[in-house]
Amino acid sequence: MPVVELSYSRLQKLLGKISKKQISDSLPFLGLDIEYEDKDLIRVEYSPNRPDYSTDLGIALGLQGLFGIKSGAIKLNIRKSNDYAIHVDPSVTKIRPFVTGIIAKNGRIDDSIIKQLMAMQEDLHFGIGRKRKKSSVGIHDLDKISFPLTYTTSKRDHKFTPLNSEKEFTISEILNNTKVGLDYGAILVNSPQVPIILDSQKQTVSFPPIINAALTTVTTKTRNLFVEVTGINKNDAENMLSVVATILQTAGFALVATKISGAKNTSPKLEQKNISINSELINQILGLNLTGSQIIASLKKSRLDATLKGKNIVCGVPSYRFDIFGQMDLVEEVVLGYGIQNLVPILSPSQTLGQTNQISIKLKSLSLIMIGLGYTEALNSSLTSKRVLYEMTNREPKKMISVLDSKSQEHTILRDSILPGLLENLSRNIHTSYPQKVFETGTVFSQGNPIDETTNLAVISAHQEATFTEIKSILQSTLKTGFNLEAEMKTFSHPTFEEGRTASISVNGKIIGIIGEINSKIIENYKIRVPIVGFEISLFD
Amino acid sequence: MSQVLHEIEKKIITSLKVNPKQTPEQLEKSTSLSTDQIRRGMEWLKLKELAIVSESQSITLSLGKNGLESFHKGLPERRLIDLLKNESKKLQHLQKELGSVFGPAIGLARKNNWIDTSEDEITLKIYPSELPGEKTLKQIGENKIPKNEVDIADLSSIMKRPDFIIEDIIKTREISLTENAESIEITAGSSNAINVESKVPDVFVARTHPLKDTIDEIREIFVTLGFTEIIGNMTQPSFWNFDALFTPQDHPARELQDTFYLDGLSAKKIGTSEQIRKISESHKKNWRYYWDINEARKMVLRTHTTCVTIKHLAENKPDEARFFSLGRVFRNEKVSYKHLVEFNQIEGVVVGKNATLRDLMGIQREFYRRIGITKIKFWPTFFPYTEPSLQTMVYNDRLEKWVELFGMGIFRPEVTKPLGITKPVLAWGGGIERIAMLKYGLDDVREFYSNNLSWLRSVTKCQ
Repeated sequence: MPVVELSYSRLQKLLGKISKKQISDSLPFLGLDIEYEDKDLIRVEYSPNRPDYSTDLGIALGLQGLFGIKSGAIKLNIRKSNDYAIHVDPSVTKIRPFVTGIIAKNGRIDDSIIKQLMAMQEDLHFGIGRKRKKSSVGIHDLDKISFPLTYTTSKRDHKFTPLNSEKEFTISEILNNTKVGLDYGAILVNSPQVPIILDSQKQTVSFPPIINAALTTVTTKTRNLFVEVTGINKNDAENMLSVVATILQTAGFALVATKISGAKNTSPKLEQKNISINSELINQILGLNLTGSQIIASLKKSRLDATLKGKNIVCGVPSYRFDIFGQMDLVEEVVLGYGIQNLVPILSPSQTLGQTNQISIKLKSLSLIMIGLGYTEALNSSLTSKRVLYEMTNREPKKMISVLDSKSQEHTILRDSILPGLLENLSRNIHTSYPQKVFETGTVFSQGNPIDETTNLAVISAHQEATFTEIKSILQSTLKTGFNLEAEMKTFSHPTFEEGRTASISVNGKIIGIIGEINSKIIENYKIRVPIVGFEISLFD
Repeated sequence: MSQVLHEIEKKIITSLKVNPKQTPEQLEKSTSLSTDQIRRGMEWLKLKELAIVSESQSITLSLGKNGLESFHKGLPERRLIDLLKNESKKLQHLQKELGSVFGPAIGLARKNNWIDTSEDEITLKIYPSELPGEKTLKQIGENKIPKNEVDIADLSSIMKRPDFIIEDIIKTREISLTENAESIEITAGSSNAINVESKVPDVFVARTHPLKDTIDEIREIFVTLGFTEIIGNMTQPSFWNFDALFTPQDHPARELQDTFYLDGLSAKKIGTSEQIRKISESHKKNWRYYWDINEARKMVLRTHTTCVTIKHLAENKPDEARFFSLGRVFRNEKVSYKHLVEFNQIEGVVVGKNATLRDLMGIQREFYRRIGITKIKFWPTFFPYTEPSLQTMVYNDRLEKWVELFGMGIFRPEVTKPLGITKPVLAWGGGIERIAMLKYGLDDVREFYSNNLSWLRSVTKCQ
């Protein structure tokens, strides 16, 4: 979950007379989990579906609703203008077809706003931008740019001075020699032409989705902004733009429209959409009996517009709330506005009778048998390592099932046997008193169609007098008591076990497992000083 | 005072009541117990403060080789004067008669002026009736007697003669009863009593794993709340783990760094053609991207058990039902005290035309109540496949803070509709290890899978 850093004092400035405690008590009811708190600083986790919460400005809008300071949807006041045109060249169609943008004027920019905007940009890129692949945003100093702009493509030898640099680079140099180039260059595949935004003076404004030009760097002296979003999908690009526009308007900027044309591109509208919902559905889902006006008040607290039309409620959803797909999303907005703390849990009688799964019941009975025989239950991961599964037990790896890119070396392969894990366990208990008698039931995996999962039982006994006879008796009693089965044992060879003291276990002519004395080399490898005997069988086949 | 006494103790006490002060040897005789039994009995009684043991020292006297000869034949000087009693005798004659004792005897007789010597003729002047030492010799004879019984003056006259008197120093232990013991009534019965207060060795009980106990407890709670358990595979096609749950194919949660993909393994059959078509349509319409069936075929280790539930719902389309699924789930995480790559999750659903969010909250509250958690609250949260979505926070007294437990919500229509599920589905779920950690007071979740026998053998079972 993404994290945003807030300051109580800045929030209080945005909200008015609200105490620190009121703020910290209310944040969770916007879905924001407080992760860390120190004096004025709070770090909260927000859900990726609410990119407007990536800044304190967006969070302030939500809190205003909860505290009743302001209610209803935030309306974007976008002044129409013909001054800011962007023409799209058809050459971008195959590589990054869409651009959109907005002008934000007469704002005051200080360091904390710059910090919030940069954090927002990062989060937008990572989340809804899908690491800039789907869409990416650039924020520029408007006064350094002369309109109209062109969104076009250029060759890789095109040169400009990128952000945070003092000298010119070619596109190829940026892609091959800078961190952002290496991180995001793959989005452009190997296209010889790359997207570029040029102004009327042929100055480079941006090389999306990689980097802006140094020319348009935003500083505390900047008063007017130009925001552009490029992407592979018009809707998603406009969604991202609407978040930035809403935040900038909240920060005090006046919005002015851009005029976009060419190659299936059009000017963004950033309009509210209306969704209609039946109030009975809301009450039915929530288990409440709210009146139309209660529902409307709740929706408004959640910063949406709502009007009653007969039994239906028409809800106005601002463009930055693209997390709202349909009616059920509005039900959630109602309950957030109403207050989850005001919802009283009820326990209705069950219409159904519960039942434990047959396999669970059998496994429970089996574990009780093992306890009765004096064996303690162990639990190991089914995702384990080559070392434990094969190397330490001399087993031959065949058709291993491994996971990709595991962050832990000890968890890379799905087990095909439980016994190796139990041996590993004993090696970590050599200073604990003997006898050590342990069992485990669990799933083992093998390649099939595409993967077969079966349940196994593995049992081991380690102590000075451990013998084949002992473990064979245990196996015999387990099968007899648990399943009324008698097994047949035949001499067998297996690298984990001692030659001449190993047998296959068959029931009704089918091999279900293996039993024997553990190979003394393996015991030695594990630095265990007592003999070990054990068996493993497949259950329920 | 009531005391359980061992048979040995009883015999010793009984004997001492008759004969208040006895040595161990005397007790052996009076009780017919063995030396070892007497020794142990004395120790027990001493510990229980029922008897005191006093130690004393005594000296006994017996005769040495020369002493014994004198006892039988008389002292050398006695034998000399006896020879001279009736007549004078020649020196040579006496020498021959007395042998080696002639010298000392004649010396003593001269010193005491009992005889006269002229030429080689010896004549007795006085015949003493009793000589010093004779009384003592007679008293000791062939026995051992305590030194304090003899006349010390008489003894000293022969004490220094070589090999005459042997002195033995003897230490004696004597046992007697304390006042406490005097009041004890020795009765029959409780004859097999042992020392019940002493320490005994530990026996380790074979037992189920503590985490399994928690799992069983949780399973039972949901069964009694009317839920039926369903079981499904841990390896799943992405289709059921993600696509069916409205998680777009480019969603960050689906990346390698969060989810375990199985190297080179794809499922041929992932669902019915209608299921695949409708789910792909829902993704295209709502998320606007190219939905790739090959992405949906990729096998993953399930990241939640919800995939099992949704598949079951899609196959059965019940109008009224309560299911739960319980088992291992996987996340590609760095293992730490609070994260495992593999852990247990319970996840359940209520299907019904009248199922409401308040019912969902009520089931959670009832579950927590049954595992002993009463301080709970609900917060909003986000899951891609539920709307509204809530999470439970429970207050933990030991940690003195609110801890996040189960998440819950109502399945989105974008999830249920393509699969033909028409009634509302309340869903909830969460990790079991976290509950078990609270129960067993653990701060490191890895403890559950380390199989440390000392820990497994020591966890309190009935809690």
